Amino acid sequence: MPLSRRQFVALSAPAMMTFGASTPRFLAQAAEQAKQNRRENILVVIQMSGGNDGLNTVVPYENDEYRKARPTLAVSKNDILKINDQLGFHPAASGLNDLLQQNRLGIVQGIGYPNPNQSHFESMDVWHTCLRKSENRPDGWLGRAIDEMQVTQKRDVPALHLGNRKQPFALTSRTHRVPSVKSLKQFRLELQQRESLSDIRSNVSFSRPQSSSLLNFVQTSTDTAIDVSQKLQAVTSKYKTDVTYPETSLGNQLKTVAQLIDADFSTRIFYVEVEGFDTHSQQAAAHTALLRQVGGALSAFLTDLDEHDHGDRVLTLCFSEFGRRVTENASKGTDHGTAAPLFLAGNKVNAGLIGKHPDLDNLENGNLRHHTDFRQVYAGILEQWLNTSPKEILHGNYKPVDVVKS
Amino acid sequence: MIDPAWAWSPYEPGQNSWTRRQAAHLFRRAGFAASSEELDKAITQKPSELVSSLVNNRPETDEYQQEVSDLARSVLATADVKKLPAWWTYRFLTTNDPLREKTTLFWHGHFATSGDKVTDAKLMFQQNEMLREHALGDFGAMVHEISHDPAMLIYLDSATNRKAHPNENFAREVMELFCLGEGQYTENDIRELSRCFTGWEIRNGKFRFNRYQHDSGEKSIMGKKGKYGGEEGVKIVLDQKSAPYFIIGKLVRYFVADEPTPSNALLKPLADQFVDGNYQIGPIISKILSSNLFYSEHSVGHKVRSPIEFAVGFLRALNGSTNLNELTNGMSELGQIPFFPPNVKGWDGGRTWINSSTLLARANLIRNLLDRKETRFNQGSLGDFMDHLGAKSPAEIVESWEELYLAVDLPQEVKNQIANKVESGKGNREQKLRDALHLFCTLPEFQLS
Repeated sequence: MPLSRRQFVALSAPAMMTFGASTPRFLAQAAEQAKQNRRENILVVIQMSGGNDGLNTVVPYENDEYRKARPTLAVSKNDILKINDQLGFHPAASGLNDLLQQNRLGIVQGIGYPNPNQSHFESMDVWHTCLRKSENRPDGWLGRAIDEMQVTQKRDVPALHLGNRKQPFALTSRTHRVPSVKSLKQFRLELQQRESLSDIRSNVSFSRPQSSSLLNFVQTSTDTAIDVSQKLQAVTSKYKTDVTYPETSLGNQLKTVAQLIDADFSTRIFYVEVEGFDTHSQQAAAHTALLRQVGGALSAFLTDLDEHDHGDRVLTLCFSEFGRRVTENASKGTDHGTAAPLFLAGNKVNAGLIGKHPDLDNLENGNLRHHTDFRQVYAGILEQWLNTSPKEILHGNYKPVDVVKS
Repeated sequence: MIDPAWAWSPYEPGQNSWTRRQAAHLFRRAGFAASSEELDKAITQKPSELVSSLVNNRPETDEYQQEVSDLARSVLATADVKKLPAWWTYRFLTTNDPLREKTTLFWHGHFATSGDKVTDAKLMFQQNEMLREHALGDFGAMVHEISHDPAMLIYLDSATNRKAHPNENFAREVMELFCLGEGQYTENDIRELSRCFTGWEIRNGKFRFNRYQHDSGEKSIMGKKGKYGGEEGVKIVLDQKSAPYFIIGKLVRYFVADEPTPSNALLKPLADQFVDGNYQIGPIISKILSSNLFYSEHSVGHKVRSPIEFAVGFLRALNGSTNLNELTNGMSELGQIPFFPPNVKGWDGGRTWINSSTLLARANLIRNLLDRKETRFNQGSLGDFMDHLGAKSPAEIVESWEELYLAVDLPQEVKNQIANKVESGKGNREQKLRDALHLFCTLPEFQLS
């Protein structure tokens, strides 16, 4: 979708301001804005790509149907980290279990959507846009949330994606370019001393009245990239933490998020991804490693946030595009399924089990039936945490799940 | 609405209206950018002749093929799958059969398989050679080959498949990603097709049919019933009406424009030809590259350069050479490493290539290459090479870069700015030229093809 001239000017306004202005003035502005943002709530999204086996994450360990369906993959009762007399965590999810014990984890069960699609890509797009393929999908749910938040208060970087791969559709906004940052160290423009950044900036942002929508997109993205890289270099150099994060990709990403939150950057939404949940074969070892990675990184992240006094204002959502088939396949793995639990973490979350475990005696084509739409969770987050109105963002009315402690 | 009859009719430029800029467009899409000599030669031919020679000739000499196969052998001797990308990059940089490599890369993204999971360099290489052989040939044959391909079956967790509880992964991707596209089948079709593939196994790096594990019962796939095996199952999928549209749609997006998504009405003439021609790929690509649509405003400048097009094209257009490992490692920060697609869907391309990290990485890769002494142009300095091209004044130098590199014209003021850097930047002449070229490569126009 081409930007209108007004939208384009709005996009490049922060850029124009920095260009030509002296650095101290810009820093003073950023610091001023930061003070105002100091106590705003922040949402961190962890996308577990590939389809997490919810049934082996939150396990109905007393259920006979579960054991019958999972002859090699069922978690032994002795190893279960018990949540109650029916349900317990996979032993590798001890990080999640610790958070639950500290009342900092909400487990929202039985999440899905009607007519579930079992393609990774289509199902992910449904989660990202809240719409089906047959509908027009120009933007994502977080992109729409950003657009709405920017109306009330302009922020330089309302949302940020960690990583350098394809940006999640959820973050696509009609008017804002969300930066992707793989690592703070690499997120800078390397120049020779002979060169000047302002030459590059002025040629990039030079007005091109005849430009196509694609050229316009590249132009505004380049402008954002240079602008944000300068700002990040300026504000993130002083961070220290005593928390040891696991040496995993997710651990490193969440550490960067903690650093950016502490830098008092105005960002309200962070998005990170962890891959590998598509366990069609030899699932046991892979799933164990993944649950350990998620639990370990998340638990370190929350500790770190607390140590820097941000624990009360950060909520983390962990989701996957679908769960997995109840019955395991002959490759000691599981095929694509439907309903699964998602996780909410943070000091303020409505901790404990939310909603009941899906019924193993009432399957649909071998898959669990969902009882809560994922958009009800989004509605809760938008309304109770980000203080936005969910209806437009979600393209409909969804009864919010209570995500925040009452 | 684009008229399909007009779109796919051969482009016939009037006298003197077949230009170097247009030939450069063809080479950017059919390959990885043309050098100035290649453009000189191209405009002496008609566009249709040029395309026909790109599609039908196999100009790589025996010596060249021997050289790349020796290189491959030395890579495979290390058994390190991470060394394969540099090998393919070398081919991208040096082949004189660029359309074959470009199309092989298309199929690699289509039948995406990653060395990250497969880890066996030899199996990855075998698959690559198979895709290259069939790249412009018979699509049906390629699908049958890929469904027996050890690297593919390992990648899709289908190295064992027993009749009791068949693994659905491979059957799903045959329908969703290889032949039909999402939404053109039911979950039940997937389950039935997966029964056809039971007994298919990979043992010691080779395909094997284990008849004891094959479910020989009746299956019902897309309205057909029978005791189908895997090959018959694939055939049924290939015969679906949506198959040619799915494949042709992807080819059009790859060669013509990232957006908008072409309508079925626009694709119909090509889809019909594809079916009538028994799924021969070469004639379709030939038609696409010599069409009115291809040379029209709907196509020129309507693609984002992929990282490989960006990095390889940067060098090929100026007869450049550099440190191959630096180049290949740099491409990873840009978001594309051959042999390592991000997932089973391959690279999405288009706007998804562009984000703040990859844009900074693009600028930084060019800076890094330009700072290296090994980066040479026609075996010498950039200054000598621009002299050799006859581009003397700063303005002529910028014009020459624009002609070789850009699909979209630069604003005159921006050109003046860059010419100004050539003229009065800092450092010696070579440094000024290289800094100006770096500035040129950071422009939004440079990211488009």
